[in-house]
Amino acid sequence: MNYLGEFDVAVIGAGHAGIEAAMASAKRGCKTALFTISLDQVGNMPCNPSIGGSAKGQLVREIDALGGVMAEAADACCIQMRMLNLSKGASVHSPRAQEDRRAYQQYMKKKCESTPNLHLIQTEIADIRVDENRCVVGVVNALGGVYRCKAAVICAGTFLRGKVFIGQNEMESGPDSCLPARHLSSHLAELGIQLRRFKTGTPCRVHRRSIDLTKLIPQAGDENPLPFSFFPVNTLRNDALCYIANTNPKTHSVIHEHLGESPLYGGMIEGVGPRYCPSIEDKVVRFSQRERHQIFVEPTGMDTDEMYLQGLSTSLPEYVQCKILRSIEGLENVEIMRSAYAIEYDCINPKCLYATLAFRDFHGLYAAGQFNGTSGYEEAAAQGLVAGINASAYVFGDDELILRRESSYIGTLIDDLVNKGCEDPYRMMTARSEYRLSLRHGNADRRLTPIGYQYGLIDASKYALFQQKMEHIAAEVERISGLTVSPAPKVNLYLEAMGTTPLNAGIRMDALIRRPQVTYSSLVKALGIESNVTAEEAEEINLMVKYQQYIERQNAQNAHLRHLEKVRLPENINYASISTLSSEAREKLAKAKPLNLRQASLISGVSPADINILLTLLKVGENNGGV
Amino acid sequence: METIAAISTPNAPGGIGVIRISGEKALVFADSVFVSAGNKVPSCMAGYTCAYGYIQDENGNHVDDVVLTVFRSPHSYTGEDVVEISCHGGIFICQKIVSLLFSKGASPAAPGEFTKRAFLNGKMNLSQAEAVMHTIQAQGEVALREANLAKNGRLSKEMRRCRDRLTALISAMSYWMDDAEETPDELEPQRLCAEITALLDTLHQLSRRYDDGRIYRSGIRTALMGAPNAGKSSVMNWLAGMQRSIVTNIPGTTRDVITESVRLGDFLLLLSDTAGLRQTGDVIEAMGVDAAYEQAKQADLILYVVDSCVGMTENDRAFLTADILKKTVIIYNKSDTSNVENQSQEMNGVICSAKYGKGYDALVDAIAAHFVGRAALNQPALVSQRQKSLVDRAACSIQWALNGLECGETIDICCMELENAANILAEFDGENVTDDIIDGVFSRFCVGK
Repeated sequence: MNYLGEFDVAVIGAGHAGIEAAMASAKRGCKTALFTISLDQVGNMPCNPSIGGSAKGQLVREIDALGGVMAEAADACCIQMRMLNLSKGASVHSPRAQEDRRAYQQYMKKKCESTPNLHLIQTEIADIRVDENRCVVGVVNALGGVYRCKAAVICAGTFLRGKVFIGQNEMESGPDSCLPARHLSSHLAELGIQLRRFKTGTPCRVHRRSIDLTKLIPQAGDENPLPFSFFPVNTLRNDALCYIANTNPKTHSVIHEHLGESPLYGGMIEGVGPRYCPSIEDKVVRFSQRERHQIFVEPTGMDTDEMYLQGLSTSLPEYVQCKILRSIEGLENVEIMRSAYAIEYDCINPKCLYATLAFRDFHGLYAAGQFNGTSGYEEAAAQGLVAGINASAYVFGDDELILRRESSYIGTLIDDLVNKGCEDPYRMMTARSEYRLSLRHGNADRRLTPIGYQYGLIDASKYALFQQKMEHIAAEVERISGLTVSPAPKVNLYLEAMGTTPLNAGIRMDALIRRPQVTYSSLVKALGIESNVTAEEAEEINLMVKYQQYIERQNAQNAHLRHLEKVRLPENINYASISTLSSEAREKLAKAKPLNLRQASLISGVSPADINILLTLLKVGENNGGV
Repeated sequence: METIAAISTPNAPGGIGVIRISGEKALVFADSVFVSAGNKVPSCMAGYTCAYGYIQDENGNHVDDVVLTVFRSPHSYTGEDVVEISCHGGIFICQKIVSLLFSKGASPAAPGEFTKRAFLNGKMNLSQAEAVMHTIQAQGEVALREANLAKNGRLSKEMRRCRDRLTALISAMSYWMDDAEETPDELEPQRLCAEITALLDTLHQLSRRYDDGRIYRSGIRTALMGAPNAGKSSVMNWLAGMQRSIVTNIPGTTRDVITESVRLGDFLLLLSDTAGLRQTGDVIEAMGVDAAYEQAKQADLILYVVDSCVGMTENDRAFLTADILKKTVIIYNKSDTSNVENQSQEMNGVICSAKYGKGYDALVDAIAAHFVGRAALNQPALVSQRQKSLVDRAACSIQWALNGLECGETIDICCMELENAANILAEFDGENVTDDIIDGVFSRFCVGK
């Protein structure tokens, strides 16, 4: 037999999901192989050269708090940092970094290479071997070489039977001109894993010198940029500029004229595209009333002149792409360096996974990233981290990690995926979390670092720092809850300056901080009270006090969800025998095998009445000593 | 679960009254109050059998002759052991028996609890249970019509419209929070506040309409009023068909408010007889008069009795202000002793003789005329306290959002409150709101990365 090695965990794919999975597994002591089709594409960003953004920025900070690597790499290779949504409330503040794409790849590759227990190997994995109990025993490469392993994590991204479309041309290809993975899909199908086609796309890259930047609106990074990492190791580079351009009616008429040449409208692409990131032809058709669409012109690195055109993804033919770009002010003479394309690929419906990201029908088989039907580097990395932790837990026989919805966006993401599934590439948004008021980027460490420490991904020295910070915050919140502010002239001067009503009687300090116009820091300063907390801690104190009553309301509202979650459904429950359930519910429950009542309630076709019946049966069952 | 007991027939006079007991101790409680004519003991009786006997109180007094029926678990309405005691109708007797059961340890049944237990024990599914509740609650044709309006989905549609408006706002907010640099038009502060205020008004209206709906389900709170000795109590007794108030011809004998439920055509009247309206020096009676004014304020309908021999007095005119008249039907009573047709009636009214039972149909028509035209009949109304409470809770969250906006809270907080409201409204038909919002974000807007 063509035997090539023995590992605890095999990770297939070295993109954003694969890296986190492999790093977590290796850090936790598993001998881990990280397989990639190209060693030159480790941690590649085939689309937007940026990390973070709305809801995604929260994900990155959560990854960091839990002990992942994305935040650290993004800080190290950042060329511009901005906090988005500043005017919209602290719970939706989201950090976003423009990245040097090449530097990021190199950083990640080096990070993997220098991690003990981690073995980075270039090869195309073609098959997964399982024994008669459906336990993973190895993976096989395209040349027939066998790597034994106890667990495998599939992080295949958009590589599986990847097909690229530009105009009427289609070609087998992975992203960024990589080779596609041609063999794994059919073997997964043989194992009984159902695959489906999704598609996504990316815009042109153009040469900086061909753009008249004076006609565009420049956008710089923040004055005081905040790093993603809670334990930052470097100061952020923040000197790159992005630029804003706009499409116009002329652009739109070019698109309309050539719509027939789009493979999307020509029916060549069968895959389901992401709703959140429509191609420019989609936007022009669907939002025909809009006279312009914003385009962001973004550098892809510091040592290159390639510029990325965010908002212009398209699969129209190359000559049409050129006509579209040149209709835009500032891009009249643009030179295209890489054409825009759409890519179609195989992925699973994540409903076949547990919240550990393990396949329900196998032992030791995990999946993460775009292969699970998501979209975005951050979503991928978040899943990779959880899958890697759980694959290693499986090897060690440790407790598995399931993050609850209220704990994090990561938990919300995975919960949505495995319970609701996704019908188009899933992108994280703040609106997806009913707990978003408490899932601020700034408290990700409070929520997740203890878990990261428990799983050995946060080292003791970092954890000590974290605990110190939590103690500072708790002590200060405690202290100010006992303080009152009296209507002294300096207080009222301050309040008037902030645009809020002066006091005519004493008031609790925390009540005063809850006024939208007041902040903890400015109030402490105005009062002349001693306070020895850091700026970061002060911000947390401020927001904890401000949001407290709303979070309490939010938690009360969501209490019934947690209650349903606590009611577990036994695995051997025979839905067909419960005649009081609707027939649709019986069928769907039997198929979906929900683990608890909340999962059951998310299944379409299962009505609240059905849930009530299950609840009742389980209660009666408990009283009679089992179902 | 506790053993529960309740009067299962309507709280109104009738030929027969049924008291139902359900739970593990139903038979034991029945044993403790029932004396069989034929040596039967309820706890030894088989299911689907009955026994004749009487109910005896703590002091050994005979309360009423009854027939007792035993249902054994699971072959009963609730699936538990059930005993039904059929007694002679009459609120007093029924209440006496049920309070006797309470004194033995039975718990009062919550509204609909028998049906709820039937559902919990798998005797019926939720929609059947709800249908039962609707039927039970429908107290007349009008109520049925209204329940049908709810069933036909008019109410759902109205709620859906509210939710759609909420969802549109939340989608716009979510979209804006997640991606947009420019504020969408609908989030421009004045417009946003106006839309939220409008939504709040709609919900408040719905909540108020529940009170109109209540009239058809639970009955019309009716105050029987008029000058002393105008014959209010006779009218009450006439309508109730039994001696309830003390009727004398000494002015001012009725001092307490006495309630009776009376079916009149399509309507159920919750009738209270009150002390006569008279300026009086008698302190005790003055308290009665105050209660009468209070009653008038709270009543849905006032039946104002005028002695047609005396005609309308100054006191009557003073009492019948324009506001009061809006909900008043005037009864010109004692038409038997006066030539009422020849008297000029100052105000429109119904000519009756309580003593001889004349004018009943005219009275029913006059009451119907008062209610049938009301908006509640043509518009969907909330049909249960649960629904009203959902609407009120949603309105409360929206109010928080509005207050927040007005005092400068950020959009994330306002959005969360609106989402709470949308979720609460979704409980009407158990839908998932988050999906609506996500779909809304995608369908309405063009979202970048």
